[in-house]
Amino acid sequence: MKDKLDGIKCAALDIIERAENTSQLNDARVKYLGKSGEISLLMRDMATVPKEERPAMGKLVNELRAAVENALNAKTELISQLELDRRLKEEAIDVTMPAKGKRTGTLHPLTLITQELIEIFANMGFSVTEGPEIESDLFNFQLLNIPKDHPSRDMQDTFYVNDSILLRTQTSAMQARIMTQSKPPIRVVVPGKVYRSDDDASHSPIFNQFEGLAVDKHITMGDLQGCLQTFAQKIFSKDTKVRLRPSYFPFTEPSVEVDVTCSMCHGKGCRVCKGTGWVEILGAGIVNPAVFDACGIDSSVYSGFAFGFGIDRIAMIKYGIPNIKMLYENDMRFLKQFN
Amino acid sequence: MFTPVSWLKDYVDIDVTPEVLAAKLVAIGFEVEEIVYQNKKASNVVVGKIVDVQRHPNADRLRVTQIDVGEKTIQVVTNVPVVGGETIAVALDGAVLADGSTINEGELRGVRSEGMLCGLEEVGLTEDDVDGQKKGDILRFENGTALGINALDALGYNDVVLDIAVTANRPDCNSIYKLAKEVAVALGKECREPSVNYKTSGGNISDTLTVTVQNQLLCPRYMAAGVKNVRIFPSSPKIKARLRAVGIRPINNIVDITNYVLTEIGQPMHSFDRRELVGNEIVVRNARDGENIFSLDGKENKLDKSMLVICDSDRPVAIAGIMGGLNSGIKEDTAEVVFESAKFARDNIRRTSRTLGLRSDSSSRFEKGIDFASQEYALKRALTLVYESGSGDIVDGVIDVKIDFAKERKIRFTLKQLRDILGCGVPKDELISILTKLGIAVSEEDGALVAIVKEDREDIVGVNDIAEEFIRVYGYRHIRPTLFKYASLTSGGMNERMKVNDILKRRLCACGLHESVTYSFTSPDFADKLRLSADDKARNTIRLVNPLGEALSVMRTTLTHSMLETLAYNLTHFNKEAALFELARAYLPKSLPLEELPFEEERLCIGMYGDGVDFFSLKSAVEEGLDALRLTAEYKRSDRPYLHSGRAAEVLIDGKSVGFIGELHPSAAQTYGLENVRVYVAELSVESMYSVKNLAKPKFAAFSKFPTIERDLAVVVDEEVPVGDMLAAVKKAKIAHLTDVRIFDTYRSDQIGKGKKSVGIGFSFSSAERTLTDDEIAQQMTRILAVLKRKTGAKIR
Repeated sequence: MKDKLDGIKCAALDIIERAENTSQLNDARVKYLGKSGEISLLMRDMATVPKEERPAMGKLVNELRAAVENALNAKTELISQLELDRRLKEEAIDVTMPAKGKRTGTLHPLTLITQELIEIFANMGFSVTEGPEIESDLFNFQLLNIPKDHPSRDMQDTFYVNDSILLRTQTSAMQARIMTQSKPPIRVVVPGKVYRSDDDASHSPIFNQFEGLAVDKHITMGDLQGCLQTFAQKIFSKDTKVRLRPSYFPFTEPSVEVDVTCSMCHGKGCRVCKGTGWVEILGAGIVNPAVFDACGIDSSVYSGFAFGFGIDRIAMIKYGIPNIKMLYENDMRFLKQFN
Repeated sequence: MFTPVSWLKDYVDIDVTPEVLAAKLVAIGFEVEEIVYQNKKASNVVVGKIVDVQRHPNADRLRVTQIDVGEKTIQVVTNVPVVGGETIAVALDGAVLADGSTINEGELRGVRSEGMLCGLEEVGLTEDDVDGQKKGDILRFENGTALGINALDALGYNDVVLDIAVTANRPDCNSIYKLAKEVAVALGKECREPSVNYKTSGGNISDTLTVTVQNQLLCPRYMAAGVKNVRIFPSSPKIKARLRAVGIRPINNIVDITNYVLTEIGQPMHSFDRRELVGNEIVVRNARDGENIFSLDGKENKLDKSMLVICDSDRPVAIAGIMGGLNSGIKEDTAEVVFESAKFARDNIRRTSRTLGLRSDSSSRFEKGIDFASQEYALKRALTLVYESGSGDIVDGVIDVKIDFAKERKIRFTLKQLRDILGCGVPKDELISILTKLGIAVSEEDGALVAIVKEDREDIVGVNDIAEEFIRVYGYRHIRPTLFKYASLTSGGMNERMKVNDILKRRLCACGLHESVTYSFTSPDFADKLRLSADDKARNTIRLVNPLGEALSVMRTTLTHSMLETLAYNLTHFNKEAALFELARAYLPKSLPLEELPFEEERLCIGMYGDGVDFFSLKSAVEEGLDALRLTAEYKRSDRPYLHSGRAAEVLIDGKSVGFIGELHPSAAQTYGLENVRVYVAELSVESMYSVKNLAKPKFAAFSKFPTIERDLAVVVDEEVPVGDMLAAVKKAKIAHLTDVRIFDTYRSDQIGKGKKSVGIGFSFSSAERTLTDDEIAQQMTRILAVLKRKTGAKIR
């Protein structure tokens, strides 16, 4: 009997040792531990063993069962590990293959800049609004101190629809609309398309402007400078300096041109700033009392400032876009860059 | 305004470089656009003398010359038939000509050549610029001209000219003298006045000429003076050089004097040949409708009664302020001259000039505005120049017909007012000193200051103008930045429309679309390209009166056209795929011709082509966009003429069409050059989406903690039955506990039958209170099948 046990043990451990996969192991389990497996049969054979030997024999059979079970379990674990390893190996992929799904698209650079501008000015308490692009002569010119046949109309080449309706040449038209329609305090910015009949290498007949207007008691040129300095430092860089130069716009008095230190060379002088270190970016000034009078705001009580600049120009400076026309061609190779 | 520095120096002692002067002018409000060194138009082109000429050994038409250029003699091969002894202009090795080209020494047909003979063009001049110089000929100098000097210097082109941008509020500064005054302020110097000093020689202008101004509104002042025994000759080199420097062609002494004064004082003048003035009179009146005049440029002008003309007793002899008549111009034998120095109404000159298409240095100055102070000064200055140049005998007296005008204006203001505008301290002494230098006297009256502004500064009318005059000289650097130091608090931010637009844009980007921006105006042929029917409302476009061209002449009523053009552009520019959207306006007239402002409708347009792109890619983008605004759409077939009839849908929100989605019709595709790709395009009005509810923040809703039970159903329906109808039928039937229904599959086969399709529909059931039983679900599924059968003829497969 004992020899038989040893024989079974040797054979079983050998089979288990040589098993290569789960199914062979299962076969081995059935063969030895199954209902009619060799070890199970041994238990049945116990009846033939003399009574006094039974306990010892039973112990030996149990030990055998335990040894085979342990071996089976150990081997099962080993094989399932191997099989998992094999599966994972088989399932290997080329991780350098492209990602699935569409890439997120892009906002147009003009929108990106506009969003940035809106955030900057909203944080300074400016509300944001838009206005009509096809505008009346009244708002675009007359209420802004630019009467018909006034020489300052030569400053802008206007597209006309008829004698009294035109494509707005400036978002300043919204100044007049806002001032005739609301009471101070006013603090508003207006982004939008404007139209001028220029079409050459450096001009587009359509471009985008960003207008600002603040009307309140006690608004000064210092506030204008502070506001524009904050804007310039946020849109360009912290070390940007702002310079005001006298200029002329019919709806502001005094009027200024505003230069900022070149963001390319930080004022040292380069191609972008034509070696001057300064880049002209906007026109501004103190609201002309004549405009207040025309729009029904008491110029003896209120003062204000206004400014306007080209969003296209800011985009070109910030992103280094060489030609304004590219903004309107919408070449995918261009648009995709503004991620 | 071209401003020769030498001319400024007549009135101001300028002791700084042109660059420094330019910077100083910019600082006080006069932008200098360019500094032109006349003698640097070409470099290394010098005066040389041809000392020897030989035939070229290898070419009959070429000559080998030896040219003395001062320090040395060089050999130049030329095809110009020179004979030797001429003093000419020669470009040396390394010279850069006016057109930017460089001259280098080299060999011409085997003979060494160290330079090139130059003509006008090479040094950037024309035959108008140099007396006696023929077009096409080389530049020639008098013998004895210093050799080796810059040829432009030798021609008298050695001035520095500032191109100054004079702003529209300072028409007075379209003159050398007034700019000189500004220069004096900028440099802290004194300014001298152009001298008025002449002697008359008897007679009296009033005895032989009368001036009648019939319309003093359009001609508030008319002055005239006479010169007898006129001699016509070329002006002095100095006057000619100055006129040329400012872009005026010298003609003769009399005409040149008027142009000189125009440039110097800013007052346009005119000279009439006295013998041509019929009836010894000048009448300033409105033209008669149909009246004609040939202007000095030879052009015939048809006049109307809105235009002002200068007439003799018979006929117009000049178009007031714009151009003289051919009939009364100065000729070689003119013996008696009448000078006119007048003020004409700015707006009228502008309109007349536009109407006639006739512009001149005179009209452009009148359009900008001429002050009352200039007429008399200019007339006397012109007579001074006549006297100095010996051009004739000045008749005693001047005629001066004028309205009453204010000689000065008083502006009361306080230092506090200035401080409130500028936000910086205003030292009183400094203020008074600056204003005084600018010609504005200041006095004090019971605590306030009073500025006395002369008639030549029509732009100064109020305190703000005084503030500007002060600060532009005092310097903006004195202003310290503040941020709403004393102003009210306001809260900023976007309005609803802009927020909605922003949400849409960001969501569409997330769907892989790229934002495009196109022109708002387009060609009227868009309607035909899109195959719009004759009565399609989109044909009602707003037309520009003065477009840049037909291709940009109408305001668009649809974005689709621009989108298709953009897609076509991308296709021809190596982009294998494109997925774009634009959020912009369509311009919809309420009536045509336009009587009121049109409706500017915000639209969303999406366009795409490329691998894997189909109708449902487009639909997905549209639904994503709508979803971002908490909107759901329904679809029904569309018959828009530019869309594929089988692949097009109207997009309905709350039952109303807001636009379309679809595949581009092959015929339309062809008109855009898009026939080789399938193009998908959508255009929706965004106007109905601008509501607060579209911006509502997400709100939590409880969901069931019991299991969701899923059931699938496959039914066969006729091919024409839209699955959308099937879903709608189920949704409408109010099936108990149904939380979701979706199409997961459609399938066609012979077994199912021709004209039929199998539709797989998935259902989800759930209850918030309990786990649902199979029986309950089975009941509901039976109901669903019945509904589908009744509404769509579905049979279970």
